[in-house]
Amino acid sequence: MIAAVAEKSRGTPRIQVEDRLFSLVLALLATETGLLKSEILSTVRGYAERYDPAGANASLERQFERDKDEVRELGIPLETIESPDRPGDNQSLRYRIPKGRYDLPDEVTFTPDELALLGLAAEVWREASLSSDSQRALTKLRALGIEPREPVIGYAPRLRVRDAAFEPLRQALDRRQAVSFRYFKPGEPAPRLRRVEPYAVVLHEGRWHLHGRDRDADGLRTYLLSRIVGPVQVLSGVTFDAPPADVQDRILGELEALRLQNSADLAVAAGSDAEVRLGKRAVLRDDDRGVIALHYTDAAVFADELAAYGPEVRVIAPAELRDAVTARLAIVAAAHDEEEVR
Amino acid sequence: MVARKPLRASDKLVFLLAFVPYLLERRVVDVSEAAEYFGLSEGEIRDAVRLIATSGLPGETGTYQPNDLFDIDWDSFEDDDVIVIVHHVAIDDAPRLSAREASALIAGLQYLSASPENAGSARLAALLEKLRLGTTGAPTQLAVAETEADASLARIREAVTAGRQLEFDYRNALGERARRRVDPLRIASLGADWYLQAYDHGREDMRNFRVDRMTELLVSERPIADHSGREVPDTLFHGSDSDLDVVVDVAEETLPLLADYLADSHSEPAGDRLRVTLRVAHYHGLKRLIAGLPGLVTVVAPAEARAAVAEWARAGLAGYESPDVPTGGSGKGPTG
Repeated sequence: MIAAVAEKSRGTPRIQVEDRLFSLVLALLATETGLLKSEILSTVRGYAERYDPAGANASLERQFERDKDEVRELGIPLETIESPDRPGDNQSLRYRIPKGRYDLPDEVTFTPDELALLGLAAEVWREASLSSDSQRALTKLRALGIEPREPVIGYAPRLRVRDAAFEPLRQALDRRQAVSFRYFKPGEPAPRLRRVEPYAVVLHEGRWHLHGRDRDADGLRTYLLSRIVGPVQVLSGVTFDAPPADVQDRILGELEALRLQNSADLAVAAGSDAEVRLGKRAVLRDDDRGVIALHYTDAAVFADELAAYGPEVRVIAPAELRDAVTARLAIVAAAHDEEEVR
Repeated sequence: MVARKPLRASDKLVFLLAFVPYLLERRVVDVSEAAEYFGLSEGEIRDAVRLIATSGLPGETGTYQPNDLFDIDWDSFEDDDVIVIVHHVAIDDAPRLSAREASALIAGLQYLSASPENAGSARLAALLEKLRLGTTGAPTQLAVAETEADASLARIREAVTAGRQLEFDYRNALGERARRRVDPLRIASLGADWYLQAYDHGREDMRNFRVDRMTELLVSERPIADHSGREVPDTLFHGSDSDLDVVVDVAEETLPLLADYLADSHSEPAGDRLRVTLRVAHYHGLKRLIAGLPGLVTVVAPAEARAAVAEWARAGLAGYESPDVPTGGSGKGPTG
């Protein structure tokens, strides 16, 4: 197959990928009624040079399928129209990009200040996989020809995503695919397989959460990405209805309400790192007794953070949190107590 | 200029689709001007212009006739390095954002809302709405909670902008407390943690300070010195010759959490875990790091590092045995 393609392309100038994709987008934008696949392959630059009128175009057709996906991934609304006379017939499908859904609406313009802010928003992701998405978004907005205000100096905000599950989940959200993964819930002896319809991914209190419908429990659940063990797999052939448009804001609201419900009383050692850093987040403080009160979302997550402070902090209440912290300290002490490791 | 990764074909396509409406909007554009605006080399811009100038529609006959092609003023382009499109087809407007692209910017903006730049600003809401309008379909359901910024941040920002010195009490990672006088140069953040990168007058060198470790902050009347020749480091963590190597076993899933401390990219299997080497400034920071990842990371060597971690955890437990004594003691604590 590869040899055959090489044979055919010999003598014709090689068309670069972006050239072929650009020609495809132009052709599909210019058509009102849509083009047949055979018309695209036989006339559009990048395909036409390799088109075989005798009919052996299987590899070219596969190329077109991949190109179509790639164009759609970029947010270009490439439509497929079925022929009313011949429903279900693949050869009579027509393709087009409706200009009204392609063009940025006229009311979407930006001031130089807003563009500078968007530039800073894109910079937030410079160490994460979202970097290429945000950079592409900026490139598209440069089409407007607006000169942004001078970039904000002396300011380098950054978000990192360290959870391996983040990227596959974001993709599943985007494509509305159900997924499965093993999830280690504190208090359970081992990770358990979950099958989930993903609705939203949100960052709350420095932790990424997945919100969605657990297919086995048949209910809405929220998971911490950091407790997902191993790969996230797509459940093929499973479809589900779109979640409400504001689901991500709603789940952030729920997490925040949960945080405000939970309050811990902590004794912090005077002059310690715990006193300075936890003290800044305190909602109540009794300086005489060295006791502060703090809200938290998840006892297990907060217990990890408190364990790091060792003797600088002691949980007074609630008992659940105190037990979680002492259990963690005991694990760390035991793991480092033995004389020999091997 | 920062080194840039080579563009992928899809990125080049997006550039072409944005470049055409930009050229139409601006009408007459110097190659150098376009290169600067899009952050590309002049060679890349010229290549793109040549590609566009020979692109177009297959047309009725399927043969790309001149009237179905873009055309540029070739004389201006070849003699003066100036781009003028004289005939265009199919596109004249900016493309909409994809769901992923829009959500990346929206989540980035939500994160920035914590910063003094945007505190409580209505323009942020308007901006988010415009991004939603400009998206094909709806943005991916990704969101970042707005958080309360450390109150110090606004004052630090003020000092950076005004070019004034800052003074504050600072408790460093070793637990030493001292008054510091600095020239603030840049505010940096990493997730929920905010840092000030500054020239420290006492140490006569650049230092990174955690904002949440600062107290008694004061914006001074004194202006900062000229630091234009000084480079503010892009990374918040950097090693020094006095750093210590520590061998640890870590669960594979936990490895990304140690990324800032890895001495090298080498790892070897150790049972169901990975054995890697960390580089830390001192055991004072190490014991906190390990205790904060309970059960996920175990120090293997050296023995002093193991002992420091064990002692830290035992001291923590001891606090629960005799609540009147916040530190000290060496007995085993209750295991909850």
